[in-house]
Amino acid sequence: MTRGSDGEAYLRIRGVTKRFGTFTALEAVDLDVHEGEFVAFLGPSGCGKTTLLRAISGLDVQSEGRIWQGGREISTLPVGERDFGIVFQSYALFPNLTIFDNVAYGLVAARRPKAEIRARVAELLQLVGLADQTAKYPAQLSGGQQQRVALARALALSPGLLLLDEPLSALDARVRARLRGEIRDLQRRLGITTIMVTHDQEEALTMADRIVVMNHGRIEQVGPPDQVYARPATAFVADFIGRMNFLPGRLLAANRAEVQGAGLAFAPPIELAPGAPVTVCLRPEDVVVRAVPETGPNVLAMQVGVMEFIGNHFQTTLHALGTSLNLSADLSINAVRDLGIAAGATIRVALPPERLRVFPQPPG
Amino acid sequence: MATLAEDRPRVGDRPAGTVRQRLGRDDLVMRGGLVLVAAWLGVAVVLPLWALLSKSVQDPDGRFVGLANFAAYAGTPALSSSIWNSVLVAAVSTVVCILLAFLFAYGLTRTCLPGKGLLKTVAQVPILAPSLLPAIALVYMFGNQGYAKNLLMGHSIYGPIGIVLGSVFWTFPHALIIITTALALSDARLYEAAAALRASRSRVFWTVTLPGARYGLISATFVVFTLVITDFGVPKVIGGQFNVLATDVYKQVVGQQNFQMGAVVGLVLLVPALLAFGVDRLVQRRQTALLSARAVPYTPKPDPLVDRVFLVVCALIAAAILVVLGTALFASLVTFWPYNLSFTLRNYDFDRMDGGGWESYRNSLTMASCTALFGTAVVFIGAWLVEKSRGFAQGRAVVHMLALLPLAVPGLVLGLGYIFFFNAPGNPLNFLYGSMAILVLCTIAHFYSVAHLTAVTALKQIDPEFETVSASLRVPFYRTFARVTLPVCLPAVLDIAMYLFVNAMTTVSAVVFLYAPSTTLAAIAVLNMDDAGDAAPAAAMAILIFATSAAVRLVYVLVTGRLLYRAQAWRRR
Repeated sequence: MTRGSDGEAYLRIRGVTKRFGTFTALEAVDLDVHEGEFVAFLGPSGCGKTTLLRAISGLDVQSEGRIWQGGREISTLPVGERDFGIVFQSYALFPNLTIFDNVAYGLVAARRPKAEIRARVAELLQLVGLADQTAKYPAQLSGGQQQRVALARALALSPGLLLLDEPLSALDARVRARLRGEIRDLQRRLGITTIMVTHDQEEALTMADRIVVMNHGRIEQVGPPDQVYARPATAFVADFIGRMNFLPGRLLAANRAEVQGAGLAFAPPIELAPGAPVTVCLRPEDVVVRAVPETGPNVLAMQVGVMEFIGNHFQTTLHALGTSLNLSADLSINAVRDLGIAAGATIRVALPPERLRVFPQPPG
Repeated sequence: MATLAEDRPRVGDRPAGTVRQRLGRDDLVMRGGLVLVAAWLGVAVVLPLWALLSKSVQDPDGRFVGLANFAAYAGTPALSSSIWNSVLVAAVSTVVCILLAFLFAYGLTRTCLPGKGLLKTVAQVPILAPSLLPAIALVYMFGNQGYAKNLLMGHSIYGPIGIVLGSVFWTFPHALIIITTALALSDARLYEAAAALRASRSRVFWTVTLPGARYGLISATFVVFTLVITDFGVPKVIGGQFNVLATDVYKQVVGQQNFQMGAVVGLVLLVPALLAFGVDRLVQRRQTALLSARAVPYTPKPDPLVDRVFLVVCALIAAAILVVLGTALFASLVTFWPYNLSFTLRNYDFDRMDGGGWESYRNSLTMASCTALFGTAVVFIGAWLVEKSRGFAQGRAVVHMLALLPLAVPGLVLGLGYIFFFNAPGNPLNFLYGSMAILVLCTIAHFYSVAHLTAVTALKQIDPEFETVSASLRVPFYRTFARVTLPVCLPAVLDIAMYLFVNAMTTVSAVVFLYAPSTTLAAIAVLNMDDAGDAAPAAAMAILIFATSAAVRLVYVLVTGRLLYRAQAWRRR
């Protein structure tokens, strides 16, 4: 992102806490969302992502904390006085109204002139690619089409904020993948500030400018998709997004750890006393098998376990000879072909130090 | 790059204390509506019951006497023996009714017998007539000059036998609906598993069919028992010298003006009703859990022998219903049973008879229409407020609870409470007493719960996010109510209107205490004419009530078929 943090954020969330009885669903959440940004709230169910969305929309107002939108404090405003459009997983289209009437619903209530409503609805349906479906009823459309209608309806009043509550979860895989791109394009074109709640990491990684990873009512990490994926801030994020080897170890120096009999270097160093227990993380796809030098940091001789053919790559387990270190690795088809890797073979492998992530606690 | 660290709040951003959302106009209006509905239910149900309760612990001058009235009741054998009579009659009626209803329901749901539509329609006949109709017809069949008197082998129809037969007739459809639903909710996979394990027919019945329907059977048993023990029409007409609780209340209050004793007997009647209510709630909760979403509905396969046996059984039951109805119809159309069987319409010339005449029929139409109109409006709006308003959980729970309360209150008890409450001199609502309005009020309250549950069920089926989407589009709640919620729920709304109309036409129990000479109702006229010995005109009026209910029902079927077909084009893919 090119936007600096000097300008006031479009949506400012400060110290937002939500309690249901004795259960704390959100704990002192602070977050800024900038104008035109697409932010995804990602986390397992019960992590508080939906609760945060409901606080922003005013559907379930927070117990403590304040929220500003466009410079206006909205903390205590009723839903009807806030400025957002919302799309639900269930579409929530009015079944007895035509597609036209569904999209026009908010415009009619706002007493816009008839001609203007017609033009605006046509424009919106054009935008979502359903210009020829105006006279149909929701039940006559497919799930993906219904969700597009819901999107058009949410955008009708040109809200300042678009909220998407698991918008693609009810759709099948193909439609989901296509709609993902369409929503993303639409959002870019309109430049509308958008927040999406999802439990699907792929959705978050492909669509969002920034991902907010949440767990137990707290924010674990905020950042662009590539950064969250490559440099997870906590063991939870590392585990939740993508696949990850979690290797228990012990710190030897600020940039070196002993992991199950193997000494591994990593960068950057961490500030912890030698001897401290750590968890060393490595993504299976970061295991290097091509052009590995004879010697060097983290070069190991490893034995290949059972090779599982996944389709576009092989999944396997590698065992470092002379240690008790085992880790899973993803090997590309052509690397396997070129190097003649087979189960039982011993190969030379490098674990790039800058790809290792080290967390101070043992995995939970 | 905006990160958390940079976005640490500045001093002064921190909130102080708990956030309370400001209420929007919609929230305020909806909460106000809930308070109004609660107030209406308070006046229409709670306060009359309270009046009844306090009357039972007072002497005629209104002084508190503790349980003295109850002691006096227990010490009067003529009164307390009615408890045993009532329980006996209700128990026998329940056993017979449940048995017949189960056979009939089994035939409808588990066999391939022909003519299911016709059988179902005939089985619903008793619901369209007042409970007085079978009682009158039974007198013509088994009374001193009855054409089938010999079947009783010297026993008198006036008394327990008559009450049981009449009660079984009019409670049959109530039991049938519950048991049919229970049998229809079955998982075909259980039967397939049983067949794969080579279980015998009878073993499948005892281990799969019956356990699956047991909650329905329990529920139906309690419902029928309560209906019979609190019914007033049948024992009044055919009970003879056999006293039961329901007739006792009537005699104490209307005959002897002993309101305190009436209140005591009314409270005794409340016991089985409350029990049935509790059991039904409990059972309903389990019944829903019984069937998982992935269950495969059972479809019966033809079996010549079983199908034929059940056809005979069901046809016999249906025939019995039609014979009772036909007897009443026939009796109403002949000059002087059984001596002069020539055709006449004289019995329909109600103005010649005491009891209210045609005026009472017009009153009934007015009352039933008003009940259907206002009742449906109040019920649906009330249920909508309970289901769709945001926050205010306690208010919504209170209204929901109050709405279910009438289910546990027999009509006689409610009517009695109305006398005590509305006729109290100090009550500012006293002006309602003796008016048409109080009849409508009482009837709506009497049948409120079932209508409320129907509305709640319909509302629960529509997407809970409609209101949210509307609010985010800044559309006021009433617009969404009128444009979306109401049209989508139209079938349920018509269903409620129908239910209220038919029940208002046929009810006797609550209104029998509340009518004034200018507001007699058709069902009351049946009672009064029968009391005065005009049995044929009473039968005629009962038939007229039946015909009216049936006609309304027919219109309803046509309307739901035609109008809904057009108005709900969106339901079709």
